[in-house]
Amino acid sequence: MFAPTTRVLIVDDMSTMRKIVGKTCKELGFSDLTEAADGTLAWEALQNAPAPIGLIISDWNMPNCTGIDLLKRVRADSRFKGVPFILVTAEAEQHQVIEAVKAGVDQYVVKPFTKDDLKTKLESVYKKYAKS
Amino acid sequence: MQNSLPFSFIKGDGYVTLRLVGSMDDDQIKLFEASLALQLSDPCPHFIINCEHLSFLSKGWVRAILKLKTDLKTYNKEMRLILMKTPLINQLKKEGIDSSFKYAAGLREALVELGLVTKKMLDTDFINPFLNATLNVLKVQASVDAKPGKVFVKTDAQKSIGDISGVIGLVSDSFSGSVNITFPEKVFLEIVSGMLGETYTEMSQDIVDAAGEITNMIFGQAKVILNEKGYGIKTAIPSVVCGKNHSLETLTKGPIVVVPFESSKGSFFVEICLSA
Repeated sequence: MFAPTTRVLIVDDMSTMRKIVGKTCKELGFSDLTEAADGTLAWEALQNAPAPIGLIISDWNMPNCTGIDLLKRVRADSRFKGVPFILVTAEAEQHQVIEAVKAGVDQYVVKPFTKDDLKTKLESVYKKYAKS
Repeated sequence: MQNSLPFSFIKGDGYVTLRLVGSMDDDQIKLFEASLALQLSDPCPHFIINCEHLSFLSKGWVRAILKLKTDLKTYNKEMRLILMKTPLINQLKKEGIDSSFKYAAGLREALVELGLVTKKMLDTDFINPFLNATLNVLKVQASVDAKPGKVFVKTDAQKSIGDISGVIGLVSDSFSGSVNITFPEKVFLEIVSGMLGETYTEMSQDIVDAAGEITNMIFGQAKVILNEKGYGIKTAIPSVVCGKNHSLETLTKGPIVVVPFESSKGSFFVEICLSA
């Protein structure tokens, strides 16, 4: 599993969902959490973080820069393309899942979710990166 | 990751929706034909082909779908293609086979043509996904057990009063409407306290955000179920209305179905309005 010291970037335009994701991450042992309210602010946070971001958990539908836009930007930049990326969405329709996979997402979490749901997804992403 | 096959079968009452996604190339046909055989057992259903996210059909797929149409005929059943997009219509026209198929604007229109439903817009097929999504979202995200009461159609004289409402539009190519979820302040403050693990005693931006997020989750979950069947509901952004004892006017003129809920935190209700 990811080390508890992994710096996690939580991206969501809704403060409520940032709180829920943050609370769940804390329950799973993470202590170094950074928040951003959309993809543009997340991109700034990635570049300005005092220590490297080790995991991004981002909402899909956000104003200015969506989760998919952020994902594409991250995957296209040699500095960040290896950062594990999880999308959180309320609308996991099949065509959207295909779009996210094509863009390079590692996992997606469908809202509403439990601590165990997020833990399972994190474990699967960790295993993927541990293998490569 | 979730099953990402480009086709899926969703069972309805007397019909099966076959959902095709993306560019359908020949490599999945054998798997499709094997899966299809399981769907054609007696009593054979009508078939709705949901083309909302379908961009291309290879010659092999066209043959497979024409064969399905012939097979259905032997059972005295029919097929409808719904939510067709222009590039696909043009492809079928170019190949001279567009008249081999029957089309309908959306699922509802297809089911009416097949004699499976009446023109009535709001039925359990449409309401239940919202009802189930409401129960699930509150249970999973806020640990609130709720129970639906008796569903009723609202009359002009009935006002639905609440203190905070999440509102989201229901828009497709063939109908429009809205879903409102309305709570008394005290009930909603307790729900959000459970959701965020903090005690909230008065309205704040967090509370407003939470109403939007709950509405978004309920809509998202119901939309996936309805769109798999072929309702073609488009993505929408929720808004939140706050105010002591407010009541909401719906944007469309159709009938309004009210689903009252009782929960461990108190009562609240969901209203669904649709018009063609």
